[in-house]
Amino acid sequence: MIIKSINIKNFRSYYGNNHVDFSDGLTLIIGGNGDGKTTFFESLEWLMNTTVDGKRAENISEKRKSELLPGESDETSVSMVFEHDGDKELVKRFRFYKNQDGSVSLNDYEFVGYNNGAERIRQNGASMLDNCFESEIRRYCMFKGESNLNIFAREETAIKKLVETFSDIKQFDDLETLSITCESKSQSVVAREMQNDKKTADKAKELNNNIRYTDDKINKIIEDIHTLEHNIHTYTDIINQIETIQETSEKWQDIKKRIASLEEKKTKYSTGAKIDYNTMLLDEYWILKPFGNILNEYSNKVTKLSTEKRRQEREEDRRRAEEKAKHEIIEGIQQLANGAEPLPWNLPDRETMLDMINDEVCKVCGRPAPKGSEAYNFMLQKLEGYVNHIKQQQIIKTEKENSDEEPPLFSKSYIEELNYRKIRFCDSEAESWIAKLTPDIYETIDFVNKQKERLEQVKMDLQDAMTERDNLLIQSPGLTAEALDKSFSDYRGNYEAKESANVRLAELNADLKVWKGKKEGYLSEYNHLEPTSSMSKLYQKIHNVFNTILSAVEKAKENNIESFITLLQDNANEYLQKLNINDFHGIIKLQRQPNGSAEILLESSNGSLITNPNGALKTTMYMSVLFAVSKITTLKRDKGYPLIFDAPTSSFEDVKEEVFYNVIDKIEKQCIIATKDLLVNKGNGIKELNIDKINQLSCSVYRIQKVDGFNEHDLSTIQTTITKIK
Amino acid sequence: MAAALLYEEWAKRNPYWEKRYEESVIKKFTDYGKGESSFKEGRGKLFGAGYEIIIIAFFIGLYYNQRKKLIADSTKRKSLGQPIQYWGNHDSGKDRKAYPKIRDYMFIALVAKSDIDFIALDKDEINLRKAVDILMDTMEEYINWGLDFIEDKVLSDSSYFYAPTAFLDVFLGFDANMADEDETTEPEEL
Repeated sequence: MIIKSINIKNFRSYYGNNHVDFSDGLTLIIGGNGDGKTTFFESLEWLMNTTVDGKRAENISEKRKSELLPGESDETSVSMVFEHDGDKELVKRFRFYKNQDGSVSLNDYEFVGYNNGAERIRQNGASMLDNCFESEIRRYCMFKGESNLNIFAREETAIKKLVETFSDIKQFDDLETLSITCESKSQSVVAREMQNDKKTADKAKELNNNIRYTDDKINKIIEDIHTLEHNIHTYTDIINQIETIQETSEKWQDIKKRIASLEEKKTKYSTGAKIDYNTMLLDEYWILKPFGNILNEYSNKVTKLSTEKRRQEREEDRRRAEEKAKHEIIEGIQQLANGAEPLPWNLPDRETMLDMINDEVCKVCGRPAPKGSEAYNFMLQKLEGYVNHIKQQQIIKTEKENSDEEPPLFSKSYIEELNYRKIRFCDSEAESWIAKLTPDIYETIDFVNKQKERLEQVKMDLQDAMTERDNLLIQSPGLTAEALDKSFSDYRGNYEAKESANVRLAELNADLKVWKGKKEGYLSEYNHLEPTSSMSKLYQKIHNVFNTILSAVEKAKENNIESFITLLQDNANEYLQKLNINDFHGIIKLQRQPNGSAEILLESSNGSLITNPNGALKTTMYMSVLFAVSKITTLKRDKGYPLIFDAPTSSFEDVKEEVFYNVIDKIEKQCIIATKDLLVNKGNGIKELNIDKINQLSCSVYRIQKVDGFNEHDLSTIQTTITKIK
Repeated sequence: MAAALLYEEWAKRNPYWEKRYEESVIKKFTDYGKGESSFKEGRGKLFGAGYEIIIIAFFIGLYYNQRKKLIADSTKRKSLGQPIQYWGNHDSGKDRKAYPKIRDYMFIALVAKSDIDFIALDKDEINLRKAVDILMDTMEEYINWGLDFIEDKVLSDSSYFYAPTAFLDVFLGFDANMADEDETTEPEEL
């Protein structure tokens, strides 16, 4: 069976008709979170579900529903064209009507199939689907999420059903029933004959008692073994459950730690990106960036003022010094005026001098000194000298007094204040501080821009982590955040109980072997009894034959099951190697459990169990088993069947994802995978296709996306579009 | 008593600005008129105290080397509550720092740009008040031009200064030589 195309109409976010053609190999449906991948998968699930009523109001496109006026109607449908012994088509649909009160009624549900041969023949859809894609095969073809890939964990009877469906074991059923009946009846006949025979009656009776006793023992042991096996299975279930939760819990804790770390970074980058450039102008003095020349201007002005002030001060000092020097010269002249040793200037005094001049007599020597005589002139000169001296003394005195009170030329010192500021603010340190503002500003701007970029990235990473956290809860039905947060203390108790049960089981199995050996011995003795009756001997021989046939049938059946499991295991390991090329992958071991279920284990080549393979290895391990099942299905049915996955690779890293798709691309099998892989973050929450990686693949690729402009609170604004990329 | 310093006398003053900028610029960008308590809460304005936009306006006028005389009618003028000596003294709210040195640089600029005969001032031929008046005139004229510049931008685009780097860009547009490009660096003759 090859799915050629599907058409999804008015199914939830798929508004109107949405058509996808599939290739025979891999088709990728790529979309981000919330873009409609799971809805796409569920539309196929809905189409292929033959067990429930498909008329479901929740499947109607809200957008289309909201557009309808009362009285109007439209259709929700999913149809699939496929090839299986000729072209066929399946259509599931119903109509929805908008009532006058705004409610919606559903009607006209049908699930039909069409055989598109020369004549288009209508059939019952469910029958056609079950004929072409039987439910036993479908169960191994469609997988939602990464956690559902382990088919044996999902369904306990999976291996049994697989064996029954795809091995030749059923052919043994009639033969086995017949062999058991023959052996049992012949045994009864022999027992009866032996007890009736006189020669063997006592021994037969004793052996019968012994056999009955050993049977009781064996039955009791088997019963105990079954109980133990049941307990072990229960412990295993609980342990597995806890381990599943533990794994989810570990993932949960990892995501929580990541979110906390991202929140911390967000706060840090927010703080860094929150710098207010306006206030930085003042707080960090950025406003002084162009101030350099004003500082120079100030410095030059103050220098000139200081220089001028000093010049004027020097000039004034000089003037005053000259004045002082002049007085000293006058004094000097006066000292030299009388030549020889003169009389003191005050002898004779002014009144005596005036008397002598008036009397024209020198009263010092007693000689006359008439007017005009040399002595008379000398007396006049002496008087003038006296007066001048007094005057000079007065002048000197006045000057001295004046000189003490004269204000300084500069009584204020504002220029010194300015100069002080110049020294303080215009030195080289201050200049380089201002010069450094420019690189500081640009460095800060650069830093802020980088912080903003980092912040954007962190916000996107945070959004992704939160989506991952939400998805983890969605993919873990029944688990709550609280349950994931709490510790799983009963793990150890269950583990120890299982270990102890296994020890007891081994003991019981050993006992069983002993008792079975005893029974074999009794039966052998029984078979070797030699009755006297020839009929008894004949019955004995016939029973031996039936017994041998029964053993052979049981062994053959067991061998058949083993070889089916080996075939499945070998094929799974081939795929595992391909999916993990150049990487460690171990060996898949399918282990049958006493209750008939199976477990997928991973072993190292030295036989040791790999108890906790990483997420990607685990996923490829389960997928390998699925591919192997699918391959065997193809071999047994002589037809291929598609494998359809919704987001199977959540735990893959980029590199793994690339290898994975390259391998799947080359597996000759129809595979439809809805995934959010192969997208790259473009910032602001926008994701784009990684065209380089996609171009390396030969498969068909579709991009599904929510149409922009939706209202985040209004479902009727959500619409998914499908675009063919290649 | 020691003689008053020119700086101190200047810092006691409070520049006048034209009332017409009160709504269009000062209240638009600062918490002017909101009172201390609400000021501290942070009101989402670009700046805190009213004087901050006055400082911004002053430096815009200074770096553009443009002055504008204030309107003659003194009833149409107004001054801030805080004299210059308090400008930049306190953290004006969350994530802010004090920037008291801004006053020193404003004073330096005013001395550099004002036509005061300091020789005469030191000779006591003109008094201190007169010198401080000249400094204040220069300051007010720069502020007046700067306020006019800001108002003009706001009128042409009311959200102009709400771009995160709008005010910064104004100052990044100047380089250190721009404001005085016509001035000689040699000391001039007095």
